[in-house]
Amino acid sequence: MALAPQLEQVLGKLLHYGTLLASAVIAAGLLLVPASGAMGVRLATAGIVLFILLPVVRVGAMLVFFLRARDYRFGAIAALVLLIIIFSYLVGAR
Amino acid sequence: MPELQIGLELWLFAVALGTSMLGGVLGMASGIFIVPILTMFGRIDIHTAIGASLISVIACSCGSAAPFLKERLTNIRLAILLETATTSGALCGVFLAGLIATPVLYVIFALILLLSAQQMLARRKETIISLAGDPGRWAALRINSSYPERAPDREVAYSVQRLPFGMVLMYGAGLISALLGIGSGVLKIPAMDTALRLPIKVSSATSNFMIGVTAAASAGAYFVRGEIITIVAAPIALGSVVGAVLGARILMTVPNDKLRLMFVVILLILALQMMLAAFGINLLGRAL
Repeated sequence: MALAPQLEQVLGKLLHYGTLLASAVIAAGLLLVPASGAMGVRLATAGIVLFILLPVVRVGAMLVFFLRARDYRFGAIAALVLLIIIFSYLVGAR
Repeated sequence: MPELQIGLELWLFAVALGTSMLGGVLGMASGIFIVPILTMFGRIDIHTAIGASLISVIACSCGSAAPFLKERLTNIRLAILLETATTSGALCGVFLAGLIATPVLYVIFALILLLSAQQMLARRKETIISLAGDPGRWAALRINSSYPERAPDREVAYSVQRLPFGMVLMYGAGLISALLGIGSGVLKIPAMDTALRLPIKVSSATSNFMIGVTAAASAGAYFVRGEIITIVAAPIALGSVVGAVLGARILMTVPNDKLRLMFVVILLILALQMMLAAFGINLLGRAL
């Protein structure tokens, strides 16, 4: 378990800065809307997509970490979570 | 699709900011307030409201995760394991959402609001933490862990109990989350407190950590389906993040009983209104 605190630090930073980035993109988009309508909406949409992808990237980071730590059981669990999420998007697109 | 109006954007931002702040103070997810407020006062379509609420749930979960992780309150191994159940539930929720009639959605929402009111009244009690000497049946998964407790300064070891039961409850939480656009803390917290027998601080932090992934599983599907409307979801997401930051500043004073009781009343009113809305009656909203 010696490696675990390190992973916690990495995930904490990823989620923190990811939230800041997505929020900044959304704010920029909304502020642009009065000036250039569609352009601003598109930027805000990009920010929303960033928010949706952030937890998915977090699962991906855990997958990489578990594989590197040769913890194949939890690597498989993280991969399963990713697969379920991808499958859910496919169901949505259907 | 609602037209873009500065007034509407500001109102949505304010709603998210207010609910997120109060949610933080009371230690409960704000998602449960967003959908009823948007549908009742904003006359926004419930599917649009659910999509926007899910983005807010993700934003709150991601935005507040770092301090919990830093303090080692989040059990990340347990979280990823339980996420197989919550995301499976979300997947089924996405599938069901397309089949369930809107009035039924309102009824389910009303029931969840009632459940939340009941939980807020009952408060959470620390279940007797299983003895550190008893590793439980799942020790081989290395999901047992410990967390630092202040005052008195010590390390508290805990072990995870009744994992299969917990997984079933998590599946249900994921399903309800995808269906209603809420974090489903109302179902996750009892699952973690009573089924898995986790210490309250650990279950709160771990639940908060998992909520983002669960919501992302359904939000992505709704986005692909075109049910996430940017001009509604964007100000809601932004307001939630700002509200969570402000709420964390105010926080740390134990919520008093009056505030708690006030929230129970609000939850009951919203439940009643959601129930009436199922039959096409709107008491609170402004006339069209």
